[in-house]
Amino acid sequence: MSSNIPVGLLYSTTGTYGVIGHDCLDGALKALEEINADDAYDFSLVPKIENPGGNIDEYQRLTESILQGGRCRQIIGTVTSISRKEIIPIIEKHDVLLWYVAPYEGFECCENVIYTGACPNQHIVPLFGEVIPKFGKQAYLIGTNYVWGWEVNRIARELITACGGDVTGEHYLPFHSTDVERMIDTIRETRPSFVLNNLIGASSYAFFRAYFSAGKTDSFFHPDNCPIVSCNLTECELDKIGYDAARGHLSTAPYFENLETKDNKEFLASLGDRGDPPLPVSVFFVNGYVTAYYLADAIRACGSDDIEMVKAALFDRDFEPPLGPTRISSRTNHAALPSYLGQICSANGFDVLSAKQTTTEADPYLANFNAVQFAADIAAIEQRQSLPHLKVIK
Amino acid sequence: MTTVHTTNFLERKAAILHRKDDNIRRLERQLDLLGMESNVIWPEFDLGASPADVVFYDGDNGYDGIFPWPKGFPPVPLIALISTEAPGRLEWILSQETSAHMVKPIQSSGVYSTLVIAFSNFERRTVLQDQLRALETRVTQRPAVFRALLMIMEQAEVRDDEAFAMLRSAAMNKRQSIENFCTHFDEQTARMLCAKTAPDKKGMQ
Repeated sequence: MSSNIPVGLLYSTTGTYGVIGHDCLDGALKALEEINADDAYDFSLVPKIENPGGNIDEYQRLTESILQGGRCRQIIGTVTSISRKEIIPIIEKHDVLLWYVAPYEGFECCENVIYTGACPNQHIVPLFGEVIPKFGKQAYLIGTNYVWGWEVNRIARELITACGGDVTGEHYLPFHSTDVERMIDTIRETRPSFVLNNLIGASSYAFFRAYFSAGKTDSFFHPDNCPIVSCNLTECELDKIGYDAARGHLSTAPYFENLETKDNKEFLASLGDRGDPPLPVSVFFVNGYVTAYYLADAIRACGSDDIEMVKAALFDRDFEPPLGPTRISSRTNHAALPSYLGQICSANGFDVLSAKQTTTEADPYLANFNAVQFAADIAAIEQRQSLPHLKVIK
Repeated sequence: MTTVHTTNFLERKAAILHRKDDNIRRLERQLDLLGMESNVIWPEFDLGASPADVVFYDGDNGYDGIFPWPKGFPPVPLIALISTEAPGRLEWILSQETSAHMVKPIQSSGVYSTLVIAFSNFERRTVLQDQLRALETRVTQRPAVFRALLMIMEQAEVRDDEAFAMLRSAAMNKRQSIENFCTHFDEQTARMLCAKTAPDKKGMQ
């Protein structure tokens, strides 16, 4: 085995979702730095970094560029589903591995991809399991106009409908668009129980700001009355939104920086401060970090970066990363993950409101999901709730 | 967005008529992910022993008589696995009323969408066939409707549209289609019908 093993890092660190790409890249680079300095690994992982700048036309060319020469067999990269789908044919053509760390909409299981982010039964389903009993069954669905928003909103509609609720509206914006006023007007008119936000980057930030502004004259727009809930909003974007506008709203993720676990405290202590002023630590950073470790540990175990050997060494073994014990299934190529509900608190990331005690196996095609059972579980929770309804509509 | 229900294939059974190679290994893996059972039947095609909800078959090597049903009348969706695109082969695949196809080599993407399309096509075809059969039956009963119409027009001295309204109303009261009602329609039925509706008619005039 060569002592220098190239690893492609393909992230848009500029462009509309550059903040997320930056966190994924920083996490992976931090892990590579540690691995390369650790004698327990008798090889070095050499990063080959490319930045498509959020431009979908650049992804294929830069993937080919990373793989040129045939030495690089592993790429950690891509955030959006549209960019992942764009490079999968090239990943398959060269028979290399893509390590995908972001949450996505499921309905995919490529043998050349290792999925370490959450899929719908690990994000939208548990999120709605928490949000519907707390706030109600009238949902307004918004998103950026591509497959992530379409599909997560479709699943949301299935969950809401199964529970006997209503979708009060569903609207999409093109990438980069900040034209959010129509959405605010719709909310003002239809008064939903909550808003499911699947907007990306600048569109999402503009929506939070407009929602906050609306709240200055109409208390319905306060998060206690009608929260914005997301499956992909993390610490790394709160500064872009502004803490004043983000405060009180909800998100689900397999990791939050404020998790009060021993593993997380040790991890954060070993990490030290990220820059000056220090950047927060998001699940994108942590998943970039732990994914690089999955790769390094598999290479160490099998003594090669051959993808079949790496997969054999990777699958179905126990890992103890900062986000808690997990394993990657040989059946689905997906990681088992916990799901937490976080509420944005002022200037200090998320308060963790609830946590599933165990990790959930990924079910990328929702093959074992039953909307009728989901609705029955929600009804049982609602029946048990002796507390008065949390909503206070003035 | 109108699709609310996630199409689910949990516990459905797939029969695969294809030699077991890497294509089939990948196919079986994807079917397993969808919660389906799969059964490779090769080289003896005995579908009777393994009733399935969907049949994948080797489109490159299929031949008449391979399936235990009349040609073109599959009881479940058929999915052809093909690598040759020779027109003669495609014609044969179409003649089997195949609901969808996958091009070999089978990849890890495409199995779910092919199943969704195959089941949807098969269901639509079944519904259309049922509708077609019902319409054909109605067409063969048209002469009876025509005869009944003439009898009423003659006996009640009404126009065709009025006669038809009387027929439709009588059929509805009997909870029958007009065609079925007319099949057993004779002079006596016509007299009774006209007698019943005559006072109304006079009243209307």
